[in-house]
Amino acid sequence: MALDSAKKEGLLKKLEQGVVEFEDDEVREAAQEWVDSGEDTYDAIFDGLVAGMEEVGRLFSAQEYFVPEMLMAADSLYIGLDILKPHMVARDSGVKGAVVIGTVQGDVHDIGKNIVKMMFDVAGFQVHDLGRDVALEDFLKKQLETNSDIVCLSAMMTTTMMGMPKVIEMIKEKNPKCKIMIGGAPITDDIVGKFGADATAKDASNALEEAVKMVVSLRDIQKEANAKS
Amino acid sequence: MTQATMTARERVLQTLKGEKVTPVPCFSGVGNVTTKGLEKLGYRFADLHNDAQKMAEAAMTTWELFGYECVVIPFDLCLEAEALGCVMNPYAQTQELLYPTIKEKSKLTTEQLRQAATPELLQKGRIPLVIEAARIVREKVGDQVAIGSYVLGPFTLGGQISELEVLLKGSLKKPDEMKDYLDAMADIIILVGNHLLRNGIDYVSVREMGATSDVLSPRVFKKVIFPALKKVADNLDSPSILHICGSVIPVIDMMAECGYDALSIDSKTPMKEAREKTGENTVILGNFNPFATLNTGTAEEAYNVAAQCVKDGVNGVHPGCDIWPTAKPENLEAMIKAVRETSV
Repeated sequence: MALDSAKKEGLLKKLEQGVVEFEDDEVREAAQEWVDSGEDTYDAIFDGLVAGMEEVGRLFSAQEYFVPEMLMAADSLYIGLDILKPHMVARDSGVKGAVVIGTVQGDVHDIGKNIVKMMFDVAGFQVHDLGRDVALEDFLKKQLETNSDIVCLSAMMTTTMMGMPKVIEMIKEKNPKCKIMIGGAPITDDIVGKFGADATAKDASNALEEAVKMVVSLRDIQKEANAKS
Repeated sequence: MTQATMTARERVLQTLKGEKVTPVPCFSGVGNVTTKGLEKLGYRFADLHNDAQKMAEAAMTTWELFGYECVVIPFDLCLEAEALGCVMNPYAQTQELLYPTIKEKSKLTTEQLRQAATPELLQKGRIPLVIEAARIVREKVGDQVAIGSYVLGPFTLGGQISELEVLLKGSLKKPDEMKDYLDAMADIIILVGNHLLRNGIDYVSVREMGATSDVLSPRVFKKVIFPALKKVADNLDSPSILHICGSVIPVIDMMAECGYDALSIDSKTPMKEAREKTGENTVILGNFNPFATLNTGTAEEAYNVAAQCVKDGVNGVHPGCDIWPTAKPENLEAMIKAVRETSV
């Protein structure tokens, strides 16, 4: 049973609102209904779940939402994603790949890291999550083992951030093409340059915004490609 | 007694009593050992945490070398968590200098916390070791300098013992359960804090950095965090300092209402606004970023930062977090000099 456009709109709204208001049941129902219709779930993920997360990012920046709200929204998003993703028709988005992600040694804070990881999951990356308090050489080991395109390092404390340049140096030496993103409360654009990293999102709110931006631009590229074909 | 003859200890304790002291004290309620101090002793940072003698000696070095007006023990955030069954990682095998973290969480429930809140707890983990370190320090410094220590705030201690993500979501989904959990945590903190204050420690900081307004909404703070923080303040001996980092303007009125002897804020909270919101009589310690000021900046910048804190009307010049050991000696000296020269 195909979805007509009004029905589609309704389900997208339900997915989006469900994420924003952490209504797990709403998200589950809407995602299931979409899957049952047999339609490609790509739009449901990007125009429903991701749109919801975009709004969460906006509310976070406006200080209407805080970290607990963001975590709840992320849980709702994953509920939808788990249902929708297996039914998404594979696309050539131009950015397929793998990412290694983790919080550096000495740091046990992983909430920001998990938020960024979520967006990689949404975007269809293969995510190798090393967790928190990760020995510096383990990032290199995993990168070599998986030949990942991106390595993401997270640190919440200034002091643990100091381990990052060592990881960056190790990886860049072995694999200069690997992109390294660093993030966490103490990271600034200045630090990114100094450490020789490629990109950052400086805190959880920015990480979310940046990650959403990344995913949204992937979606837009995809749409353009579809329009041309 | 004229202020010129006051000891560093008196200057800190008078300040925490709400007396105006000139120049304002330059001290900390949290860790401040330096690599310079460690080099002098020939100790590794990782070796200090489980050795009362080394802990005491290292803690005194910032006072001895720079005239920093305090001796603070221990250097990690794991004391109460360990006593509650968690396992600490001191990073003994790591080349990099790192603060210890909890590697295994005991995940005690509210009920288990209530059962744990007995004097027996005070003999567990490294609590006796810290008391012993305080005794060693006192023997050496006498009444010259105040000995500080700290406990974690209820929410932050919760984050050591359980998964922080669960607590964060709980604060929104099940606020009453969380309130109860933090209430039980408060009893633990009161027990440990008073034990420290009654056994050689001169002042205790309550570090509730996990509940900063960067993370939790003022609404959740009021409903879930505030009651437990107030309970701690109501039952903890004096003098006590409440420290929350990040931008705390949205909750600083509640922080003041708790009734601690002093509030400690970091550089993200503007002093002027903090003063406006809490009034002239609130003792406010702050408010510089220790890493930027002492580790990465120049001595001149450190001087200016400290002078600005004085100018902004802090009651004590105090870092927003632990002083990271690799602090430059010349920056520490410049900071202390600035306070003496500009606080008149």
